[in-house]
Amino acid sequence: MKAQLFITCLAEQFFPGVLEKMVVLLEKLGVEPVFPAEQTCCGQPLFNSGFQEQARQLAIKWLDTFSQSDLPVVSPSGSCVDMVRHHYPALFPPGTPEHSRAMDLASRTFEFSEFLVHQLGQIDVGAVFPHRVTYHASCHLLRGLGVRQEPLQLLQAVHGLELLPLEGAETCCGFGGVFSVVYPEVSRAMLQDKVNHILDSGAEAVVACDAGCLMNIAGGLRRVGSPVRAMHLIEVLASGLNSD
Amino acid sequence: MSEQNRSVILDAVRGALQRKLGDSLAVRPPALSPRQVASQAEELQLLIDEIQKLSGHAQMISPSQVSMALAELVRTYQVKQAVLWDAPLLQRLGLATRLTDLGVRVIPAHSDKQTLSECDLGITEADFALPETGTLGLLSNAEHPRLVSLLPRLHLAIMRPAALRADLHQVFAEARTHAYLILISGPSRTSDIEMTPTLGVHGPRDVHVWVLDTDQ
Amino acid sequence: MQKSQLQSSEKKIPHPIEFGAYSEHVPGQIPSALKYATGRFMEQRAACLDELPEWEALRQAGSAIRLHTLENLDFYLEKLDQQVIAAGGQVHWAKDAADACEIVLELARQHAVKRAVKVKSMATEEIGLNHALQEVGIEVVETDLGEYIIQLMGTGPSHIVAPAVHLKKEQIAEVFSQEFGIEAPTDPVELTAIARRVLREKFLAADLGISGANFLVAETGTLVIVTNEGNGRMCTTLPDVHVAVAGIDKVVPDWESLSVLLKLLPRSGAGQKISVYTSFITGPRRAKDEHGPSEFHLVLLDNGRSRILQDPGGRETLKCIRCGSCLNICPVYRNVGGYAYGWCISGPIGAIFTPQILGVQQAGELPFASSLCGACDEVCPVRVPITDILLHLRRRVAEGDAYEPAVVATPLRAAAALGRQALGTGWLYRLGGRLLPWLQIPWLRAGWLYKLPPPLNRWTKVRPLPAFRAHFRNWWKRRHQVSTGDQP
Repeated sequence: MKAQLFITCLAEQFFPGVLEKMVVLLEKLGVEPVFPAEQTCCGQPLFNSGFQEQARQLAIKWLDTFSQSDLPVVSPSGSCVDMVRHHYPALFPPGTPEHSRAMDLASRTFEFSEFLVHQLGQIDVGAVFPHRVTYHASCHLLRGLGVRQEPLQLLQAVHGLELLPLEGAETCCGFGGVFSVVYPEVSRAMLQDKVNHILDSGAEAVVACDAGCLMNIAGGLRRVGSPVRAMHLIEVLASGLNSD
Repeated sequence: MSEQNRSVILDAVRGALQRKLGDSLAVRPPALSPRQVASQAEELQLLIDEIQKLSGHAQMISPSQVSMALAELVRTYQVKQAVLWDAPLLQRLGLATRLTDLGVRVIPAHSDKQTLSECDLGITEADFALPETGTLGLLSNAEHPRLVSLLPRLHLAIMRPAALRADLHQVFAEARTHAYLILISGPSRTSDIEMTPTLGVHGPRDVHVWVLDTDQ
Repeated sequence: MQKSQLQSSEKKIPHPIEFGAYSEHVPGQIPSALKYATGRFMEQRAACLDELPEWEALRQAGSAIRLHTLENLDFYLEKLDQQVIAAGGQVHWAKDAADACEIVLELARQHAVKRAVKVKSMATEEIGLNHALQEVGIEVVETDLGEYIIQLMGTGPSHIVAPAVHLKKEQIAEVFSQEFGIEAPTDPVELTAIARRVLREKFLAADLGISGANFLVAETGTLVIVTNEGNGRMCTTLPDVHVAVAGIDKVVPDWESLSVLLKLLPRSGAGQKISVYTSFITGPRRAKDEHGPSEFHLVLLDNGRSRILQDPGGRETLKCIRCGSCLNICPVYRNVGGYAYGWCISGPIGAIFTPQILGVQQAGELPFASSLCGACDEVCPVRVPITDILLHLRRRVAEGDAYEPAVVATPLRAAAALGRQALGTGWLYRLGGRLLPWLQIPWLRAGWLYKLPPPLNRWTKVRPLPAFRAHFRNWWKRRHQVSTGDQP
């Protein structure tokens, strides 16, 4: 089968390695990735800032880009998929062509872990990662998309991986997109709590499914000089694979 | 001003909802089904357990034991003054007489509030009892005044098993036509100071519930 | 420090609520106290929910009942009015805070009131009633222990259910010592005993009892008050006149509705299956020899609620039953406390209620006081879609809508449009991706960016930014060329 890649602006700028590994992993699982090069940003930052009219323009572009084919869309970011699934349809009046396209794309756009588990029926992808790992549940993935078990199932199937519980795993890390720069001190306090919990867990790595959370948490761990790695789920699942 | 405001506000509400005067009412969505109950013995035990969990005291009692239990209560809580509901059940149990015998001054229920607030013990019946939450429901009228269960530091409620109700649905079905109902679940409490649970803030510090083992 | 902000919270606020400015200097005691208290509430709530498999069904029923009531509010308000009057009570209608205070002041004048006792009521905080009564020389005593304490301290509540939760017992002992001229002990049990004695005298001496309402039952004109301490009963039984002030959104259709809502409220807010006291009051006492007030007055308050009702995107705000659960779960609230929200209602519900009542000119920072994590939506017992409403209000602030013009200045709106152009123009976006790895060099250290210039300094002052490295497209092209190159 084939799938379109929705790489997201943050992952493109900051985590190209994750995107490369996503491609290699999908190919290994029998999915031929297609990359619509016209894509830019889904518009979430503008939408969350209240600039819905501006976000609508970006949504139109996004829908143009991904409706060129009927293929499902896969993305390594829960919040971007949540944008497409929940907010895109509401940006267009019912009955308009844009609205139909939004509804259509909403029905076939998936976050990576839910794509693996539900669309591909894959849980054990043959990954080997013999380390102590803990999992942070990104808010939009968890509460927006209802993806709760899938990343855990995938992690538990990784050979050698020891999954440790994280206190406050479902509590926001303080990223919140524009929130982190609008109210940096509150974001700082929330990040501090998250970092403390990660350090208390005893894990060598914390895994999440959203570039925003990862930027925030990785930066927070870096600032306290912690050796704990912040990794995307895809990096763990692709471990052992060559990406060239 | 208020009459004019009434029209202004109701018009504003109707306008906001795009409704017109005399528009019909949609059907109110359903509440959940009432609770199914177990046997009376189980319900009574549940009631007693739940009251204890709330730091209240509850026990089954037979009429012949009341006298001694009352003496015990008076002694334990050093009761000097008491006030009772004017109720046939409480009279049949001879409570006022027994209290007097114990040296407790029995204050009339119609006394002024200052006097009532000096009572150590208030004795009432319970019109309803909800086992799930250890709750007593008390209606109110001239013979069953409100302050008896509120002002004294010790509240004794004597109830018959017939007061049991399955849940709020049942209580409400009966109580909705009355002018006053108080649901009491344990002693007065607060955690306002550093989340430390403290009993006896404004209402009674101790609540005792005696469930008569007969419905006589 | 918070005093002026809170005194002004009692009156109409002329200046904007500065959530940001406050949040930059939160006294350390507040987050630690709040995290402890809210943590306990949530543990207790979880224990209650464990015993209640029908919790989700109850939430759905509660939400449906509340929404139905709002959608037929005119009918229910008229019914309530009719029933309260039939029960011997009086109903007063207040368009706004000034009306409501005037009504209560007039009642106080008629009855030559000197001393009033109050049950905790958000509606009375909203209208600044205490201040209005005190200005004409009436003593107003808050009787909920937490409210009493903060009244003595001259500050406002930091949490809608547990107003003094941020204070240490030593601080409380200090204020009791000052107030009563004693050496107050720091033990909570003893402090409570002092308050009991003092407040009992107040209850007995009061001419007027003031309360809010947890619910107003239209079917019978019944006022429902939920407390744990007993002060609700005291205030509504001892004084000869009882005034209840409540928003028009407090109406419920009938007693049957209460069987749902009263299962939701105490569990959600305080983790109790039921509160210690739930009073159901229908009109004044019926006969002279009964206990209770001889006069019962209900003041129905609009104060902007009918305007919220008009906006389908904000209407569900009014479903709120004021349980406090959203505060308890909110990581933003737990780290800043109630004062940051600048008005009587704080936390996620405050962030949506306040801007809709006061307007986004004054309260435009509040819809942004959230990371949109959605935890509040999950715990709300009546399913207020708080996150959706926050986004709805952010749009009002940024772009304006049918209800209010935008707050955001034109330059920022222009910047947003430019930003969208850049993000939405493929070649420009890709060019940016290629340039940034070069432009970032002055701030780059070992793969991270430190101390970036504004506006990105708002990020780097908290933690470094990973380096810009948009090389996926090149990698894809190379890989694709290689594989197409291999095709026969």
